Amino acid sequence: MLTIENLNIEFHDHLIPETVVHDFNLKMQQGEIVGIVGESGSGKTMTALAIAGLLSRHDMKKTGKIIFEGRELLTCERNELRKIQGKDIAMIFQEPMTSLNPVKRIGWQVEESLRIHTNLTKEERKERAIRLLEEVELKDAQWVYQAYPHELSGGMRQRVMIASAMILEPKLLIADEPTTALDVTVQAQIIRLLQRLCKEKNTAILFISHDLSLVKSFCKKIIVMQDGYMIESGTAEQVFHNPKEEYTKKLIAAIPKLEKRG
Amino acid sequence: MKSKEKRFNFICGSILTAIVVIPSIISLFYTPYSPEMMDASSKLAGVSMQHLLGCDNFGRDVFSRIMVGSRMTLLIACGTVFIGVFLGTILGAAAGYFGGLLDEFLMRINDAVFAFPSILLALVFISLFGSGKYQVMIALGIAFIPSYARIVRGEFIKYRNMDYIQSARLAGAGNFRIMFVHILPNAFPVLLSSIMIGFNNAVLAEASMSFLGIGVQPPDASLGRMLSEAQTYIFSAPTFALFPGIAIIMMVLGFSLLGEAWKR
Repeated sequence: MLTIENLNIEFHDHLIPETVVHDFNLKMQQGEIVGIVGESGSGKTMTALAIAGLLSRHDMKKTGKIIFEGRELLTCERNELRKIQGKDIAMIFQEPMTSLNPVKRIGWQVEESLRIHTNLTKEERKERAIRLLEEVELKDAQWVYQAYPHELSGGMRQRVMIASAMILEPKLLIADEPTTALDVTVQAQIIRLLQRLCKEKNTAILFISHDLSLVKSFCKKIIVMQDGYMIESGTAEQVFHNPKEEYTKKLIAAIPKLEKRG
Repeated sequence: MKSKEKRFNFICGSILTAIVVIPSIISLFYTPYSPEMMDASSKLAGVSMQHLLGCDNFGRDVFSRIMVGSRMTLLIACGTVFIGVFLGTILGAAAGYFGGLLDEFLMRINDAVFAFPSILLALVFISLFGSGKYQVMIALGIAFIPSYARIVRGEFIKYRNMDYIQSARLAGAGNFRIMFVHILPNAFPVLLSSIMIGFNNAVLAEASMSFLGIGVQPPDASLGRMLSEAQTYIFSAPTFALFPGIAIIMMVLGFSLLGEAWKR
């Protein structure tokens, strides 16, 4: 469904061009969950933004291929891209506090992609938005529908984000550290929710995180990135039980464990 | 600012504004005398029961003329601010949202217009297109564009890379939709208080242009025009000059207090 070949992203806004992603390769199937792990600045988010088509066109050079359902996303026209965005590819951002527009009601924001991509009437849109809000396990969806973002907690906002990303049942959901800003119990709930939605709607999820233990429990395939290079990739078991690179070993060793000492 | 102070500003501002605005609305269907009716017997009359604020050099009732004149001043100020805000928002939004060369180009033109004194710009405009209330409105409106364009541009730069704008873009929203539906409402609070300040400046600019004789033409009344007509009689009939001046002060003070109260 999604194939990325030799993706390179280069910034040209300084005197010396800077490459932030080197030769990135990825193959994803329908309904698959793939995790990208790496520390800050390793190029995870850049890769995600490139797939979503959100990297601005000037100031940078992108080479390679991103093929989504037979369409080449890097070179296709802006209008073409907009038809795919929101409908087939959706994204959840890291910071639930800034990812909702503070001056618009939740319902309006959840409905936005319906308004752009479909011809549903106002009532149909509302019905669908409320159903989605219920599906992401928000209690009292009617109230949330008419609330403003500042009235919701971080976990609730992240659920709203998931609802608005999932409303058109996209084929690919990019989750850029969706749980980093949340506390641990809410993290687990959000992960379970994503897992359930993935299974029910057969959505592929590209899960970006710096939390290796989280990725281990959640993803089938894992890619480890460092300084823009993908240094290791494979199934979760391969990466965890048989890490090839020193860096991956260190990452795995850094996961806090409950064990007896001495 | 403390909320008590804000409330005080709001109350004072509302009262002052109301004292000027309400009579000017009433003047649409009622004035004590016709503002153009001359009465030689009461020429330069002082304050009396017949003429509340006295009469001018032609014996016209000053109170009636202030009612009509402040309506004209308000109308011109509204028109000026509307033109300035409308075009300024479009230009500022485009500059701030797209950035790059377009931004550079628009803002340099903006700076050039901004560097020009607004009265002087209006003078040039009027000497080209003749004088009258619509010319004043357009001339001042153009002079007002840069200040709004700057404010809106700043706000757009602040918001254009927010996560929620990214996610709107990812939902497939076009540039215009993002600019005017997603970003613009975020810029309203800042825009609103600058509209109040701009309104004051427009009132003052209109008054000074009419005072110089290049604004509203007789027999139309405007506050600046009345001041200019009164200056010859300032010692013989001080009330004639005093009351239009007080009306301008109340209008400007009222709006600026309201603007203070609305500022975040």
